[in-house]
Amino acid sequence: MFSVDWWGLVLPFCYITVLLGSLITSSSMYRKRKAAKSANLAPWFPPHLQRNIYLSLLHLEPEEGKEKAPAVPDSVLRAALLRRAQEDIFRIIQIRSAKQACSTLLQRGSVGDDLWQRFLRAEKEMEDELRDVVMEANALSPNWGQHIFQSANEIAARHIFQTRLDEIQAQTEPEKEWWEKRRASIQSEFMKELDASTSGAGKASKSASDEDTVMVESANSAGGKSKKKAKK
Amino acid sequence: MSGTDYSYDEQGQFFPIFILTVVGIVTIPLTYSVLKPSSDPGATAPRIKSDYRPEHADLIDTQRKAQRRKDRRLKRIITVVAGWAIMAFMAYLIVVTARTIPKIWNPYDILGISDSASEREIKSHYRKLSLKFHPDKIRPDPAKNQTLESLNDYYVELTKAYKALTDEEIRNNFIQFGHPDGKQSFSIGIALPKFIITDGNGKYVILVYAALLGVLLPYLVGSWWYGTQRMSKEKVLIESANNLFREYDEAITEGGIISALSTGVEFQQSLKGEKAESGLGKLESRILAEGTASTHAGGLSAKDVMKLEDLDGGVRRKALALLWAYLGRVDLDDPALDQAKLEAAPIAHALNSSFTAIALAFGTTAPILASYLTAQNLMQAIPPGASPLLQLPHFTPAIAKAVEGDSKTHLTLQQYMDLPESYRKRLSVGKGLLTEPQYQTAVKVARQLPRLQVEKGFFKVTGEKFIIPSSLVSMVVKGRFIPPGSENVPEINELDLEDIDPEEDDLDAILGRPKKAGKGQKQPADDKPVQPPLAYAPYFTRDYSPRWHVFLTDSKQGKIAVPPFTFTTFDKPIYDENGKPTFNMQTLKAQFQAPPQAGHYTFVMHLICDSYIGFDTKMEVTLVVEDASKADEFEAEDDISEPDEDSLAGQMHALKTGAPPPAKKKKKPVDEESSEEESNTEEEVDDTSETDTDTDEE
Repeated sequence: MFSVDWWGLVLPFCYITVLLGSLITSSSMYRKRKAAKSANLAPWFPPHLQRNIYLSLLHLEPEEGKEKAPAVPDSVLRAALLRRAQEDIFRIIQIRSAKQACSTLLQRGSVGDDLWQRFLRAEKEMEDELRDVVMEANALSPNWGQHIFQSANEIAARHIFQTRLDEIQAQTEPEKEWWEKRRASIQSEFMKELDASTSGAGKASKSASDEDTVMVESANSAGGKSKKKAKK
Repeated sequence: MSGTDYSYDEQGQFFPIFILTVVGIVTIPLTYSVLKPSSDPGATAPRIKSDYRPEHADLIDTQRKAQRRKDRRLKRIITVVAGWAIMAFMAYLIVVTARTIPKIWNPYDILGISDSASEREIKSHYRKLSLKFHPDKIRPDPAKNQTLESLNDYYVELTKAYKALTDEEIRNNFIQFGHPDGKQSFSIGIALPKFIITDGNGKYVILVYAALLGVLLPYLVGSWWYGTQRMSKEKVLIESANNLFREYDEAITEGGIISALSTGVEFQQSLKGEKAESGLGKLESRILAEGTASTHAGGLSAKDVMKLEDLDGGVRRKALALLWAYLGRVDLDDPALDQAKLEAAPIAHALNSSFTAIALAFGTTAPILASYLTAQNLMQAIPPGASPLLQLPHFTPAIAKAVEGDSKTHLTLQQYMDLPESYRKRLSVGKGLLTEPQYQTAVKVARQLPRLQVEKGFFKVTGEKFIIPSSLVSMVVKGRFIPPGSENVPEINELDLEDIDPEEDDLDAILGRPKKAGKGQKQPADDKPVQPPLAYAPYFTRDYSPRWHVFLTDSKQGKIAVPPFTFTTFDKPIYDENGKPTFNMQTLKAQFQAPPQAGHYTFVMHLICDSYIGFDTKMEVTLVVEDASKADEFEAEDDISEPDEDSLAGQMHALKTGAPPPAKKKKKPVDEESSEEESNTEEEVDDTSETDTDTDEE
């Protein structure tokens, strides 16, 4: 039999252990770090207020000294659930519109992988949330789950519409004010001109004011022309 | 180790050559990259001349200089210098080291006779020498350091040399191999100095090797990899890009974008440590102070103020406040704050380009436009919705307001410059307004700004009469640079408005290479693309070359239809030697795929300059896509160069269109150009029934 020089083999074995050991540690460290990072990713959406309200209504703690929790009327629960569904609609719209953009931007290298991970997690959470809402709705009244989102969608649409409308309506006051001021200034100018012409304060001033009006007109027409040119 | 045939470089004659080569491979390309004409627009592009010095011009100048120093790539220059120094040293070593080239064996030299000696002379000479040097005859002389052996060797050499000249066989050997003994063994040298492989140094060599392979290489690869991961494609930190994506909103306004930009992680680097909070109270009181033309000096709207006040303290709030201070040109009365204010703008500009990319990915028109407008605002230091007149030197919000009067809409620069001279002057010059020289400076600058005025925009397919579904359509935009207030603008030459197809055999032109000579059109003096002057932005601390973006949007859906094409250079000179505009007709071309269905498509074409406010053009254009068979019908009348039906090209075409092959004709394309008056916005997009083409338009 041939004898093996075990001592001579120590060095190569050492080499292999060190090599494999360092590879394994670095790989496990990388994975751990990645896992920690993805666990610490900031959530896509802020805390779901409506859901929290609904859940706290559902699981009301009994007041001190009393056995039973106060009974929440069914209609309040339903309204809270509807609110929750409405918030979910906003979130779904956001996720749907962002998905395409996020994936193309990720491919192009314009946004990072973190964002995509956060996005995927938010999407999954939303799916669970929707299922939960449907189940809750069915529990509150049979078959409501099938059309709760339909009504929530309509409420959400109206909400958006109403805010838009309010924004526009809010502008009326400043606009009105501005027009009043403008009208006043134009009026006073005209009055001045009228005064100047009726009192006959002198030909020089009159011709000057005439010149003014002509100039304004020509200015306007020049502006109009340039506008037309720009359009062409 | 001495047993091998390899000899190491004991005299150090080869390793300098080896090192010279290695260093040269690195240094020479690097030298080229350092010395090559820089692509920096500040170096080559013309500038708009003005002697206007804004407030804090010294701060702006120092920042510009610092940036230029940064751009100079100091590291690279040092590497190149070091490389050349090493190469020079190695060259010196090569020259100095005496090279021990093995001598060519020459029998005449050994015998000490001339090359022309005859055989008889050789023989007699050899006899004389052999009498003198035969080992039996000569005694070793210790004074001359001779031994018996060396004398013996010398005699053998002599005999060899003699034989080489007289003996037939040995002479052959000499002629063939250069040596009387026949073929000599050759040795392989390794260009490494011997000390590397001497026994005691082995561990150091291994140490160095391990350091190179185990530390330096992973470090380099790692830093490269994480470096690419850290930056997005738009050269902003990826984390900033992520934040911007989160801030995106379909209904975002320019003010909203400004506040979104403050999420950039870059600000955290420039506002480190105590800078993050210092002076925030003063800063906010300044920007929220009552402004002359707007409710706040910083130009914030009520919504923006709310956003600012909703933020917690810290870097983001300060960055946002600084941005508003920059936009409102608010004097902060503190050099450090003013410096930070000026520094914030280029960072925000870079972040905004990232935001533009994000908005383009979403494809909704309003945010895209808002982000382009934000770029203009940042460049010119003008808050959103403020008067474009502020772009001119010496104009302040108060003056701009006085000029505009009480009107709700702002005067654009071109409207202002189109006012009659005396009226304009009366509006702008006066007490509390501009002084006469200030007014002259402002007007001078306005007359130099490059405003691209679109004269015509149309679609065509190169070499075809119709645009058929899915073909590659060129959008051609013809425009002239007409600075605001230009006088004597020449009439448009109708010829210039046409886009003439290159000859069918002119491959250069078809493939987009610069053509040598064309027909009908005046050719530019040289084919070099013309750079527009650098953006006139006295408050922006970077040199920036303006860009023009052309894109099509669908007004009904509010979505972008054809993503932007960006133009930085033009094909004809914009200004002549004296800085006067030439009014040359510039051609901008962009190609995209036509829709797959025939019909009339109404788009809104936007042409946006990202450096100046109020120079944008928006016009409606209609793309008429004809049914493929319709185009064939029309062209079938022509009988020129119709491919045979059984030829390969003909069959290919028949397969493609399901129709007999048409003639490939070179004709002017049908251009569907329209302005607002003639375009019908109620038109259905997929109106396939309407097939009549406006051929009568020509």
